[in-house]
Amino acid sequence: VKRLVPTAEMTLGPFFPREFAQGLNHLADEIEISGRVTEVDGTALDNVILEIWQADAAGRFDNPQFPGWGRAATDAGGEYRFRTVRPGALPGRAPHINFLVLYSGLMRQLQTVLFFEPSDDPVLRAVEHPGRLVARQVKPGAFRFDIRLRGGDETPFFDD
Amino acid sequence: MKILIEPRDPLTQAQGVEPGYAQTARRWPARPLARRPLGASELSGPQPVARLLHADQGDLAGSGAKRALGQLIRLRVRVVDEDGAPLPGTVLEAWHCNAAGKYIHPNDSHDAPVDPNFYGAARMVTGDGGLAELRTIKPGAYPVPDTGGWWRPPHVHFSVWGRVWLSRLVTQMFFPGEPLNEADAILNAIRDPQARERCIARFVPSAGTELVYDFQLVVRGRKGSPGMP
Repeated sequence: VKRLVPTAEMTLGPFFPREFAQGLNHLADEIEISGRVTEVDGTALDNVILEIWQADAAGRFDNPQFPGWGRAATDAGGEYRFRTVRPGALPGRAPHINFLVLYSGLMRQLQTVLFFEPSDDPVLRAVEHPGRLVARQVKPGAFRFDIRLRGGDETPFFDD
Repeated sequence: MKILIEPRDPLTQAQGVEPGYAQTARRWPARPLARRPLGASELSGPQPVARLLHADQGDLAGSGAKRALGQLIRLRVRVVDEDGAPLPGTVLEAWHCNAAGKYIHPNDSHDAPVDPNFYGAARMVTGDGGLAELRTIKPGAYPVPDTGGWWRPPHVHFSVWGRVWLSRLVTQMFFPGEPLNEADAILNAIRDPQARERCIARFVPSAGTELVYDFQLVVRGRKGSPGMP
């Protein structure tokens, strides 16, 4: 079979429709993950689209009762929020949540990963600053995961 | 089914910081992106997306007194994977500005009129053959603020899901024969001329009441053959 070349990714732009991001950040009621998305000088970014993909509490991706996928938009202060469950471990992998970032000025999607604690995980071993992928617990069931796109304590991103 | 995802080709995918598109230098990571081993987490599919996102009619043009201003067009969008296999049942989101170059988004400060009959956001699910159709009006061009004369050519934004998490595709579709295509910093961030050409829809002569365009979206991923690692 002749392989087709994947279509070139292009920026989401600044005008992703608001309603496309409404009501999709509430997957479950167990934990809350929130954070702030910033650019090079620390400026907060409005209407950044974040999508997540995660396993259920048992480490499964095919649970019909739990979608595993969600989307949130940042507000004018750069803040986003998800409510979900703490995912279980997978064989060879510590509990984690896959994040995808889409925004104006990003010609293609950025992929990063949230972990709940420092872990022996092949994805954490692949980056120079694994600590930046570990969410900060601010109270029981509430975690902060800030995403710095560029500069300063820049979030590690993946090219797959 | 095991799905293979191969690294992006730097000729057919943009590489991050683009001269002429100033925001890329504020937002694209300064550090090289890391490579990670891919496993069940990255290569499983967010199939629930089709359950969570409700599709609508695929018609932004309206009719009669509710007809949006502008040239009626029909976009026939086909979603396939790298094997050329169609993806039925996948979600396709589309959004674009009105015929005067104005988005429905509250953050759009461009001084162009709103069209009360045009709402520029549609969500579809592909049917047989991976096909989705959008009846709409041709979007206008608009100047990008503070760029000294960069005008975006008419374009339609698309967001689509493929077979696995890493197949996610967000892109833009352009129209053939538009002089602004030649200078657009976003379209021309793609180095390979053929890859750029594939981002431009194909005009299909027809006798109907709408101008018809065909466009193909190729999402990342192909089937692994037996015995492949």
